[in-house]
Amino acid sequence: MKTGIFICHCGHNIKHTVDVKKLSEYFKKFPNVTVSQDYVFVCSEPGQDMIKEAIEKEGLDRVIIASCTPSLHGEMFKDVLKKADLNPFLLRRVSIREHCSWVGDDIEANTEKAKRYILAGLYSSAHHVPLEEKIVEVEKSALIIGGGVSGLSAALFLSKMGMQVYLVEKEAELGGHVRALKNVWPSGRDGKSIVDEMVAELQSRNNVEIFTSTTIGGFEGFFGNYEVKLDTPEGQRKVIAGGAIIAIGFSPFDPSIKPELGYGYDKRVITTLEFEQNVDQLQLPENPRVAILHCVGSRDDQLGKPYCSRVCCVNALRVGDALKSRYKDSYVESFYMDVRAHPKGGEEFFEDTQEKGVLFTRANVAEITPTPTGVVVRGEDTLFGEIFERRFDLVVLSIGMSPPEDSKLIANLLKITLDKDQFFLEAHIKLRPFDTAVKGIFIAGSCSGPKDVEESINHGRASAVKLFGFLNLGYAYVDPFISWVDPKRCSGCRMCEQACVAKAIKYDEEKRIVRVEEAACMGCGLCNATCPSSAIILKGYIDRMIDDEISAFMEAI
Amino acid sequence: MKGKKLKTGEIENALNRFLKDEQHLVLGFKKDESGVSHHIFKGSLDHYSLLNPVFGANAALYLRRLFSKGSQVMLMLRPCEIRACVELNKLTQIEREDIIAVSIDCPGTVSSKEKKEEVPAELHELNDYFKNKDSMRWACSVCGEKRAVVGDAGIRIDEKGNYWAIPYTEKGEVLLSLIDGEPEEVPAELLAAKEQKKDKFQVDMEIFNKDFEKCIMCMNCRDMCPVCYCIDCVFNGDEYLPKGDALLNKVFRIGSVKMPRGKDLFHFIRMYHVSQTCVGCGACEEACPQGIPLTKYFKGVSERLQDIFSYMSGRSFDEPIPYVTFLEDELKDATD
Amino acid sequence: MTDEAKEKNPEIVGFACSYCTFKASEMAGSLRMKYPEGVKLIQVPCSSRVDPAFVIKAVFEGADGVFVAGCHPGDCHFIKGNYYTRRKIVALKEMFDAFSMKEKLRLFWVSAAEARRFIDKVTTFYNDIKEKKNEREKA
Ligand SMILES: Cc1cc2nc3c(=O)[nH]c(=O)nc-3n(C[C@H](O)[C@H](O)[C@H](O)COP(=O)(O)OP(=O)(O)OC[C@H]3O[C@@H](n4cnc5c(N)ncnc54)[C@H](O)[C@@H]3O)c2cc1C
Ligand code: SF4
Ligand code: SF4
Ligand code: SF4
Ligand code: SF4
Ligand code: SF4
Ligand code: SF4
Repeated sequence: MKTGIFICHCGHNIKHTVDVKKLSEYFKKFPNVTVSQDYVFVCSEPGQDMIKEAIEKEGLDRVIIASCTPSLHGEMFKDVLKKADLNPFLLRRVSIREHCSWVGDDIEANTEKAKRYILAGLYSSAHHVPLEEKIVEVEKSALIIGGGVSGLSAALFLSKMGMQVYLVEKEAELGGHVRALKNVWPSGRDGKSIVDEMVAELQSRNNVEIFTSTTIGGFEGFFGNYEVKLDTPEGQRKVIAGGAIIAIGFSPFDPSIKPELGYGYDKRVITTLEFEQNVDQLQLPENPRVAILHCVGSRDDQLGKPYCSRVCCVNALRVGDALKSRYKDSYVESFYMDVRAHPKGGEEFFEDTQEKGVLFTRANVAEITPTPTGVVVRGEDTLFGEIFERRFDLVVLSIGMSPPEDSKLIANLLKITLDKDQFFLEAHIKLRPFDTAVKGIFIAGSCSGPKDVEESINHGRASAVKLFGFLNLGYAYVDPFISWVDPKRCSGCRMCEQACVAKAIKYDEEKRIVRVEEAACMGCGLCNATCPSSAIILKGYIDRMIDDEISAFMEAI
Repeated sequence: MKGKKLKTGEIENALNRFLKDEQHLVLGFKKDESGVSHHIFKGSLDHYSLLNPVFGANAALYLRRLFSKGSQVMLMLRPCEIRACVELNKLTQIEREDIIAVSIDCPGTVSSKEKKEEVPAELHELNDYFKNKDSMRWACSVCGEKRAVVGDAGIRIDEKGNYWAIPYTEKGEVLLSLIDGEPEEVPAELLAAKEQKKDKFQVDMEIFNKDFEKCIMCMNCRDMCPVCYCIDCVFNGDEYLPKGDALLNKVFRIGSVKMPRGKDLFHFIRMYHVSQTCVGCGACEEACPQGIPLTKYFKGVSERLQDIFSYMSGRSFDEPIPYVTFLEDELKDATD
Repeated sequence: MTDEAKEKNPEIVGFACSYCTFKASEMAGSLRMKYPEGVKLIQVPCSSRVDPAFVIKAVFEGADGVFVAGCHPGDCHFIKGNYYTRRKIVALKEMFDAFSMKEKLRLFWVSAAEARRFIDKVTTFYNDIKEKKNEREKA
């Protein structure tokens, strides 16, 4: 066996806490290691060339790349092997960044740990065999769940790129929350006109099918060929989608969860959303006293909502601004934790409102009590450490964005993951912010965390670009990591068959052994772990590979 | 519960009636000059013995991969043997159609290894013989299910020494229909389960190492275990042991090492493999040339592991083996 | 690291499901969270791939502790895999208990989002084992 080991510095990211030189020297000693080399950026163009050349020149038949975590750059490195005419499954990735250099400070300990990880890769790779990636056809169509601004922008992009689009909206009307906003920051436009424009453009296109008052009833299959059941008012419809974008938005935080806010039973305590919708009908005295509360349902660990909702500070400022414009001599006081005026121009807007006379008090508000003579706000001024109690005619709660109410439902149907706050989880916060862990399923807009309109539209378009890239190829590779039965070793006990969740294992009454229905196998490996004699094996994760990894960790081989 | 009281010789008559069919066989015991042993009867019985006082092997071992078409075997065996057959049925190693599994109340047995003298095969003599506790095989002395309450039917013995045939399934009724007489209510004492206090098996690695010190890894224990059914056991190769260059590599890299012992791996993994199906018969220990107290470990561990799922190997044909099923709402404190 | 430190520092092998715990460990890495270097992970597609034989093997090859980690019940990417894992690992724990080495095996549910929980779980496990190990050595 001729193994090539390539150890990445990742600039400084790995090198600063792992002695990469020592590692590459160390592995040179192994008889089956032909090349052992460290390099500044293995993923760079010259880095890739270096690997390709080594394969060709030295006739390598195993390649180990010790660098970042295997879920990054996977396809790229596989391509390097393909270009050098080597089966891509003879590649072994070893994570010495996310699992070594970044999680420990001691260079000696990290180097030892990286050494064992590479050793595990080396021993385990001996059991790699060339595998064939199956090619499946990809349906050039996309399912978009949610018709808010993010879903609309994704649908528009894909439609313009020539993909068939199925847009599914739960409500009777498209547009999501933006439809109800009167004065969208920062453009000042009416939300309804923004969404109507997008909807009109979408409706004019002939490769878009819009389903309103519709929910997802079923979602089966795999990338390239998802079978989707839609529960429409006209009954169930089945569509085939190559991929999907989830854009189900957010739910406005419901302040009645916190009874101390006094919301829900007195019309003098309202949310920013209600203020926006009813600003003309508010019955206020001549020089009204109004309190505005920031961060309601955000940055609140007790509620399990530790995140900042990004829009509520600006919303609070807009309320103050609107009031000061209408009632010049009003008394408007904003209670904040600290002001995070997110979008461009936010900080200037903050100064503006201050100039207009809105008072800002850094405070912890403890209690809001509507009384016949006014709404009483009690709290602590955290700048001066004083307890205060003030009376107002109106209290506006600047509510945050909570996860969409259907997040759990959709996550279960599409078998994807939610984050700890119940928003949809990105595959990687920084590097893959539009992907989910499942191939061909993307997320867009505020369903992956609070975003404003512009961000949501951009996020929607970016997800659409990503999905387009996948769909447009027209084909996809399927991981060949499925199970296989050794007919000579199978005892026909049917244990695996009983356990398999996908019902992918079939019993042959004649031969009295089982076989795997390849198309149905999900590749979980439950069968392999259930068969005492491992007569059924999961390709890519066979016993010997894992056994040898264990041995390498323990240096027992 | 109803059953038929058996007159002397009636079992033999019934089995002979069963054997009239060309396709029918009886697997039971035969007594001749050399002693009592497992025997398959065809046509008619010959020196039939209901009991076998000496334990050599578990007969279920010989029934693996029993897929005959059309023929039927009446199994007249000890409860632990019937229970192993039931597990093997779940493991698709024995076709349900091919057998009628009849268990027989077991007075206990003598180990084939310790048999020094003639052991009586008659019930009352045997009971007298076992008054001396030490003469009983260890596995039998701790056996939790000596009663013939498993399988399709059971041959039970009441306090007065009467024999009863009691059917548990439709197949059991076949046996009953071959027996003369009318079914009657069986005595209450046969129905009551004897409350047994089981001591939880508890050892540590020091004890294990001492007990298994003499193990030579011949794997006879596995070969004779009725529920170690695999055509090609994972331990047939020696891949799980570092050896040759790999072993030396290790020594050169990290210095002197203790020679790796595959023993603990072999016994632990096998123990886990049979943890839900082990019937505690002690056939493994019987087969061990080195006198390792295997039953203590295998039976002890499997009882603890079966208890978690309220499972008992061989109790019923219908209970699935716990590792191939689950309940969503269970084992709440499983995680750490 | 001196040889003495090596002696006293436990070796932990963890089996981590690709879709949840392994993802959480990647996130923990990206966020530069720290955990003891004695903890090493083996990636499996699903916690249900973990054959108890692997755990047994790891222990007899010298691991001071082994953990199996997967998605929370109900969240398995492969729909039900982790319910089987739970049964098998619970049984294996009972077996280890019979040999008075229950503390060597743990089962965690850690979702892809729970980087902090991942760190907490492995660090606590490591520290508990280390304490016991050093106690034993002193005795
Ligand atoms: C009070 C308030 C004021 C705001 N003001 C501003 C502002 O001035 N400027 C600004 O930039 N941003 C503002 N925002 C933020 C803005 O509303 C969001 O950025 C925007 O709505 C996000 O769009 P979206 O498409 O992600 O989600 P949404 O607008 O929530 O749209 C999601 C859509 O998905 C649908 N859906 C949900 N579940 C399902 C399902 N199961 N099946 C099918 N469809 C489903 C919903 O019905 C909805 O139509 C404000 C937010 C709040 C709370
Ligand atoms: S890998 Fe999973 S889905 Fe495939 S056959 Fe095995 S148990 Fe079934
Ligand atoms: S569990 Fe193993 S031996 Fe049994 S049927 Fe499946 S592959 Fe064959
Ligand atoms: S183990 Fe039980 S059933 Fe088996 S021979 Fe001994 S006493 Fe009889
Ligand atoms: S030890 Fe395990 S693999 Fe070997 S025969 Fe027994 S059950 Fe099968
Ligand atoms: S392990 Fe021993 S006691 Fe258990 S079934 Fe097998 S032979 Fe009988
Ligand atoms: S039969 Fe005895 S000596 Fe042989 S492997 Fe089993 S325990 Fe060891």
